Amino acid sequence: MVKIADKVEEEIRAIFSGDTPWVTIVWDDPVNLQTYVVYVFMELFNYSKARATELMLQVHNDGKAIVSSGTREEMEHDVARLHEYGLWATLQRGDQL
Amino acid sequence: MSTTEGFKRHGNHSYIAEFASSEKEVLLNLCEQIIELLAERIDHGQEDPLAAMVGITSHDSPPEDEVLHRLLPNAYADQVDASEFRRYTESTLRAKKQANAISMRIHLKSSDDGIIDLDHDSANAWLGAINDIRLALGVRLKVENNSNEHLELLSPDDPLRGVYAVYTWMGWLQETLLSALIDDADDDESNIKI
Repeated sequence: MVKIADKVEEEIRAIFSGDTPWVTIVWDDPVNLQTYVVYVFMELFNYSKARATELMLQVHNDGKAIVSSGTREEMEHDVARLHEYGLWATLQRGDQL
Repeated sequence: MSTTEGFKRHGNHSYIAEFASSEKEVLLNLCEQIIELLAERIDHGQEDPLAAMVGITSHDSPPEDEVLHRLLPNAYADQVDASEFRRYTESTLRAKKQANAISMRIHLKSSDDGIIDLDHDSANAWLGAINDIRLALGVRLKVENNSNEHLELLSPDDPLRGVYAVYTWMGWLQETLLSALIDDADDDESNIKI
């Protein structure tokens, strides 16, 4: 349910702003503990433990995961917060993935 | 190495650990090294006082030191965007990391009996500081994803063996603090159905 709501919100925002959404990507890292990554996702994005765990596993298994999307400014904020916690994160335009 | 049992949750949002004095010394030493390392990156070359005041630095390339680079990473794959972002944000990021390590240092310094009692905010500061310490040690130890055989098989007289022991212990300590914190988070969302 959470997933669909996020998607819809993202679409609506894109329609009104005319902007291409930007995304925040978290990259796999050999040092950060899995529990820590889950905790950071819960703390920063208010994701449920299940959603945070799903994203952490995606980072672990695929090497990266999109953890949030929005305007460029919002993604710069998310990346800065993730760097504070020591996660390896970058942002980019959503259409250049 | 460990005599402490790590962090445990007590009541509402209180996280307590008790450290032997030798453990406290190790933690203090690590905090101080992170604080010093981050201080190396302070921008002494900034000539514009207004820019310095609002946190704009003249650093537009990542630190050459591998550890500092890991602690202060690029936000963009694109070098031009990465440089621009770094100029405006690096000093804030560095200050936050230093504040976490300083907070951890103050708790340790002000605890005579080795008992550390953290609220939610200071637990987050500790988590961040412990993680930065682990990142720093991990870069130096060349920790890899799948196998750390080169670290498991170090000879007893190799100084890196001791570093690896500290790295492992810090991971364990962080894990105890995380389980205490995540218990809390579980309670907070106990009425939410996913």
